[in-house]
Amino acid sequence: MISLSQTNVRKITTFRRKLSVTIVLVVSAITALALYLAQRNVAATAERDLRANFQAELAGLHKIEQLRHAALTERCYALAEKPRIHAALEDNALDLLYPSAKDELRDLMEGEEPSSEQVAGSLHARFYRFLDSSGAVLQAPNPNDVGELTPKAETQLGFGRLPGTQQIGYLWQSGNTAAQVIDEVIVVPIFSTETGDVISALVIGFEPFELGGKRPDVGMKSGIWVDGRLDLSSLSKSEQSALENQITDAVTKSQRGQNNFTVTINGAPQLLFYTRLNPASLFPPAYEICIYPLADWIAQLHRLRWRIGGAGVFILLGGFVASHFVAARFSAPVEKLVVDSEEDRARRKSAEAALASTSDELKRSTRYSADASHQLKNPVTVLRVGLETLLAREDFEPQIYEELSALLHQTHRLTGVIDDLLLLSQMDAGHLRIASRPVNLSVLIEEWLDDLNALPDSPDVKIEREFPSDLYVAGEKQYTSLIVQNLLENARKYNRPGGRIKVRAHKEKGEILLMVGNTGRPITPTMHELIFERFRCTDGSRSGHGLGLNLARELARLHRGDLRLVCSKNDWTEFEARFVIASQTANNPSQTA
Amino acid sequence: MDVRRVIWVNLIFAVPCFSAFAGAVVEGRVELPKSHSAPVVTQRYEIVAHHGALATRPPLAVVYLEGSFPKRRAPPIKQLAQKDLTFVPSLLPVQVGTKVEFPNFDDTYHSIFSYSPAKRFDLGRYRPEERPIPSKIFDTPGLVTLRCDIHEHMRGLILVLNTPYFVVTDPDGRFRLNALPSGHYTLKAWIDSKTTREQLVQLKNGETLHVDFP
Repeated sequence: MISLSQTNVRKITTFRRKLSVTIVLVVSAITALALYLAQRNVAATAERDLRANFQAELAGLHKIEQLRHAALTERCYALAEKPRIHAALEDNALDLLYPSAKDELRDLMEGEEPSSEQVAGSLHARFYRFLDSSGAVLQAPNPNDVGELTPKAETQLGFGRLPGTQQIGYLWQSGNTAAQVIDEVIVVPIFSTETGDVISALVIGFEPFELGGKRPDVGMKSGIWVDGRLDLSSLSKSEQSALENQITDAVTKSQRGQNNFTVTINGAPQLLFYTRLNPASLFPPAYEICIYPLADWIAQLHRLRWRIGGAGVFILLGGFVASHFVAARFSAPVEKLVVDSEEDRARRKSAEAALASTSDELKRSTRYSADASHQLKNPVTVLRVGLETLLAREDFEPQIYEELSALLHQTHRLTGVIDDLLLLSQMDAGHLRIASRPVNLSVLIEEWLDDLNALPDSPDVKIEREFPSDLYVAGEKQYTSLIVQNLLENARKYNRPGGRIKVRAHKEKGEILLMVGNTGRPITPTMHELIFERFRCTDGSRSGHGLGLNLARELARLHRGDLRLVCSKNDWTEFEARFVIASQTANNPSQTA
Repeated sequence: MDVRRVIWVNLIFAVPCFSAFAGAVVEGRVELPKSHSAPVVTQRYEIVAHHGALATRPPLAVVYLEGSFPKRRAPPIKQLAQKDLTFVPSLLPVQVGTKVEFPNFDDTYHSIFSYSPAKRFDLGRYRPEERPIPSKIFDTPGLVTLRCDIHEHMRGLILVLNTPYFVVTDPDGRFRLNALPSGHYTLKAWIDSKTTREQLVQLKNGETLHVDFP
């Protein structure tokens, strides 16, 4: 194990910390964004829901109010149609108008004042009056019968002209009590049955319908704003006057019949909703004011925010922990990489050193084998030349010639061994360059077979040929020839008298296979692989220096082919050499010739 | 008592009793406003308001002789019935001091009243079998508009005249007044509540004067 340097340990720690911080920052940012969006969405939805609920609630109540208005108006019209009232107005009997109306409106005026819960369904009227043809109020002979009004309030009822359609108005009245109240006034025109003209109008005052009165659970408060003043009995005077200004502002600025905004009453936020009560009326515009406390909703929103915040904290904590682990996990390969690279660097250094020494050794050995072959070849050449000179003399005994001839033969063998060694050393040193040219293998085989027959000590063997005449292999002709020569010479050398040699060659899967078999004593199985090693001889009795097969296999492999023993038993030994097919045999056939 | 009989009785009493004295006679035609409704045999007469004036539809007129005539004993009782939620007849001229009965021939209540200055009264609600038949004496000349408190569309007119000589025209506006005293008088034709035409006439005993109201 290679120990990490202090610098690297520091770097790894810094990397891990940076990674962790980055992940934490990213997780925090994503969480914060998600929480912000979620919170905003939730708040917006809640507010929308609240307003929708509130408006639905109001719409329901307004429906009741509209129904009440419709009922009241219908009642007023029914009263205005009464024959006695018409008779009094049309038959010039105004003195009988109020007495007649007293009978007709008795059910409206008399009886108990309804409680506030019953107001919506009640048709109880506070007062009624008739307008004369000029639109002024007709004085009643007995004010007690028609509901008392102050002279000022009475003048408010007249428009200065008679209305052609029904009118709804809301008017401040100072009734019997000191407190001022608002009356809901419905005016219906009375048409003459004779002329069809409006001859009078019936004005009836009711107690206004209080929207919130029926729904105390909602916490909604309702009141009426008219003439710059607000009547919202559940609020104190100061609160009312504070609201009055805001509503007056809103109403005068916006021409819309209804709207809503948020107000603060006693520090508590409230949703204020206003609706025009009497659109297109001759009376001054009156607005219904509904106030809905937002405290619960805000508290709920706060709770929701806290929950979301809490969830966010949990997510963040989880994110921190996760980021720590993720950082550790992510940095582990990096640390390993650092360690590995350090080990690699050390290994590389040693490998480079080893390579350098090996290279030196190789150079030295190459130089040595080159030198050695030269040093060997020169004496052998001198020896051979001497022996040939001696053989050329004619004054020796015949047995001396045989000796000399044998010695000469040995020098030839020595030369062959030296050549082989030289070639092997070149190969070992990687100096051997193989050109890849098309070589006509068939021709090579034929040439060598001819040479075999020409050898003086060729035994009596039968040669069987089985190959086409145009097999081209890729390689250096010289070395390919060496391989073929080696195989054929071995086949002849290790054959028995009267035996045979079988030479076959064919194409197979992009390669050319050359099989050389021969009769003769087989190679023992233990030697099957050893025969390809240098200086191994299968049979000490035969001539051979144990380099041929090794050289042939090395050369074959150098040509991207191979050489192997296929079988050796029962008087038959067969080798197989594989060559690469020449890619373009037709390009340069002349070279193979 | 059915409606026809009521009309019959009214027609009888509309003709002054002393026609036997063969006084002056006035006959002629009142040009009545064009009626938009097609003439039907069983046409009912109802009171309608046109431009604020009450009249019968189809139009009828009342022709009467105005002047000062000696007081006689109480005029005979007349009837103005309610049948099929209308007044029958819808226009009834009577002499001052006449007692008019208001029998109810419908199967429902009626509540006849009038706020007219000539006669204010209120019969209250009464059933068809109400006995005695609700009645009123009309002792002030003028037009009395009758209404029903229960059926607001119902209208009837009683024209209270200060003369015993009057007649309702036929639907074509033709009229004939018999047994009139001789002398200078004003002959008036009441057409609607706002229209009364008049002509000065000089009557001679035994003569028939032809007067048209254009």
